[in-house]
Amino acid sequence: MPIISARGLSKTYRVADKQPGIGGTLRHFFARRSRDVQAVSEVSFTIEPGEIVGFLGPNGAGKTTTLKMLTGLIHPSAGEVEVAGCAPFRRQAGFLRQITLVMGQKQQLIWDLPPLDSLRVNAAVYGIDDAEAKRRIDELAGMLDLGEELTRPVRKLSLGQRMKAELLAALLHRPAILFLDEPTLGLDVNAQARVREFLADYNRRHGATVLLTSHYMADITALCRRVLLIHQGKLFYDGSLDGLTERLAPHREVRFELRDPPPAAAFASYGAFESQDGQQLRLLVPRSELTATVSRLLADFDVLDLEVSDPPIEEIIGRLFRQGAVS
Amino acid sequence: MRGSRRLRFARGWRIARVLLSTQYAYMLEYRAEIALWALSGVLPLIMLGVWSGSEAAGGLGLSPERLSRYFLSAFVVRQFTIVWLVHVFEEDALQGRLSPYLLQPLHPLWRYLASHLSEQATRLPFVVLIMAIFFLFQPAAFWLPTPGGFLLAVVAIHLAFLLRFLLQTVITMLCFWTERAAALERLLLIPYLFLSGLVAPLEAFPEGVRAFALLTPFPAMLSFPAQLLAGEPVDLAGGLITIGVWAALLLPLALWLWQAGLRRYSAMGA
Amino acid sequence: MLRRFWATSLAADLEYQVNVLIELLAVAGNLAGSLFVLSLLFGQGGSLGGWSWEEALVVLGLYTLLDGITSTVLQPNLSTIVTHVQNGTLDFVLLKPVDSQFWLSARTFSPWGLPGVAAGFALIVVAAARAGARPDGATVAAALVLLLSSTVILYSLWFVLAATSIWFVKVWNATEVLRAALVAGRYPVSAYPVALRTFFTFVLPVAFLTTVPAEAILGRGSAPWLLASLVVAAFCLFGSRKFWQFALRFYTSASS
Repeated sequence: MPIISARGLSKTYRVADKQPGIGGTLRHFFARRSRDVQAVSEVSFTIEPGEIVGFLGPNGAGKTTTLKMLTGLIHPSAGEVEVAGCAPFRRQAGFLRQITLVMGQKQQLIWDLPPLDSLRVNAAVYGIDDAEAKRRIDELAGMLDLGEELTRPVRKLSLGQRMKAELLAALLHRPAILFLDEPTLGLDVNAQARVREFLADYNRRHGATVLLTSHYMADITALCRRVLLIHQGKLFYDGSLDGLTERLAPHREVRFELRDPPPAAAFASYGAFESQDGQQLRLLVPRSELTATVSRLLADFDVLDLEVSDPPIEEIIGRLFRQGAVS
Repeated sequence: MRGSRRLRFARGWRIARVLLSTQYAYMLEYRAEIALWALSGVLPLIMLGVWSGSEAAGGLGLSPERLSRYFLSAFVVRQFTIVWLVHVFEEDALQGRLSPYLLQPLHPLWRYLASHLSEQATRLPFVVLIMAIFFLFQPAAFWLPTPGGFLLAVVAIHLAFLLRFLLQTVITMLCFWTERAAALERLLLIPYLFLSGLVAPLEAFPEGVRAFALLTPFPAMLSFPAQLLAGEPVDLAGGLITIGVWAALLLPLALWLWQAGLRRYSAMGA
Repeated sequence: MLRRFWATSLAADLEYQVNVLIELLAVAGNLAGSLFVLSLLFGQGGSLGGWSWEEALVVLGLYTLLDGITSTVLQPNLSTIVTHVQNGTLDFVLLKPVDSQFWLSARTFSPWGLPGVAAGFALIVVAAARAGARPDGATVAAALVLLLSSTVILYSLWFVLAATSIWFVKVWNATEVLRAALVAGRYPVSAYPVALRTFFTFVLPVAFLTTVPAEAILGRGSAPWLLASLVVAAFCLFGSRKFWQFALRFYTSASS
């Protein structure tokens, strides 16, 4: 029995078409044109309780719009959506108690007060009694490694501390479903890792369902066994992360430095030549031939340095969409 | 059924308590600004200056004491009926702070109401201070209202505040359709300013203008509680009925606009 | 996001018309209200603080004019100081090779105060004519000089207040205090009791904003008042510069 199900979910915005500047405004005033922007179109998927699902796609692909439809902030233009057995856009109290939405750039904590004050408000709003609230705060604070930060005004906290406090506030009512929009945006690497560990831990302890978007591939690889890939409002891929990497990035990138690099053509038999910058070269090599190719390179050339990496997910996705390889 | 009602009441009471105390702590962070804001309500005291020297006051038989008490009361009423909902709400909607509020099982307007009440509590000591300074210069104007009259005045001030809050809620909901809700509020402030009794006692109005003013909700928002506070004879039932009737008109309108506004907000992308 | 949608939404189509309409309504409403209150103050009698109805209207006209100037130039520019301080973008202004006070005071211009300027000007001319003022060269010159110095005083008051945003974040409350107190300039300063009159002359120079120029327009100006006005203007301007430099010492480039 899926906890989230979307069928043919679509959202169209009507946007007025206006040229910039005064001329545009005047022209627009006399002959108003507007066009429909299809932010999300015909998206269908289901998510089972306890899953952690990554939601991927380039900027403006419709990720946030979809999250807002799933939380009930936006009314879908077409299609059906059911979350925890409710129609989200009705925003009934029973539904709201089961979900939470965390947006990396938006904050709900009261800026000039310590997080503890905002937590007290949330406890009252969600009807959690004081003793229980204290117990939950202690538990979550322990998991998030938050201590005296909770008694300092939010404005005095670092971005990472603030994000952790936001998560605490968002999870105090112990929601069964977490919608996370870029929860690690702007955090330093340590803080990102901390948030990631926390989410995995929370999922394990409470069996919560998590749907998360992130620009950082590390978030996705660490947390999600399944990903949804969305582009221009359409769902392109729904499956395991491994499958996605296989499908999207059958190549790995080999970067190496040569003492005396020959012309680019010399590498044709090793892999797809990508770029050269002085002594630095980059090749794309099929995964299956990686080991063989690397040993050949080491044997054939005077290699100073060599590094193998997965191209960044943004790059993979970008290349993929340019090639139109997925349809 | 009774039990569940008691439970709901307990929950509401707890939310109110926590919201008010948290918002009060928040407002205390801005006490310097709120002091300045309290000071910005000096208009009735300036008007007292002009009125007390004018020939018109003598012609109307308004004694200096009476003028002083009336305008000081008007000052106090104004202090505790100021509503700034439209400004913060506009900001919250633009900054996306409204969305998280919408995802919590509490109507967001309660939060704003609580922060207004907390702001008034923060303002109280400054108002008392300004009054003390006033009486220092005008000891003759000092008066103590009867306990009953004072209680009535306090109730009337709160009702007047709620009516203003309701009226501004209606204007604020237009935020969902236009960027100019704040400008509209500014426009609406003009008749409030001149017809409420803030700048001139209603008795000084010509008959026709006074009759017209009494058809608007504005005198009920200021003149009515101010007269109660000043201990002047006042049509108590009439004032309360006016507030009640306007509230009965505005409340459904505000709630309807809220629903329609949210539909639009969500259609625009929340 | 929402702002972008709003900007392109149906409501934005009527942007200019609606703004003009709102401003005209606001100016007309305020003027009508002020005239109404002034008429109440005159009651059956013929004077307010020794000023006749027409003479008092010149004061009201000057107030309306200055209020229009405030909305056109002072408020839009000086409210950007507050924004700069809040967002920490004041740094960029301070690093520009231009005098920061000048840069912050003359950046923008809002046309929405112009109806007020026009209405104020019209009221001054009509009321002065009906009060029997004979505009000769000297009167006009004195009036213009006094108007300039009252503008300078007004500017300095606003600037000082805007500069306090370095300490107080929500300073727009403070600008409201100033606006509220300046409302006193709607009436001739002699209409107030002695204590307030002294306050409005020496502490908050409201008298120099409207009453003194009105005297000059009505041909009742005197050299001592003209001189006093210039001195006050120079003092205020100088004070505002000093205050700005003082305030900048406390500016700790806000992060975030």
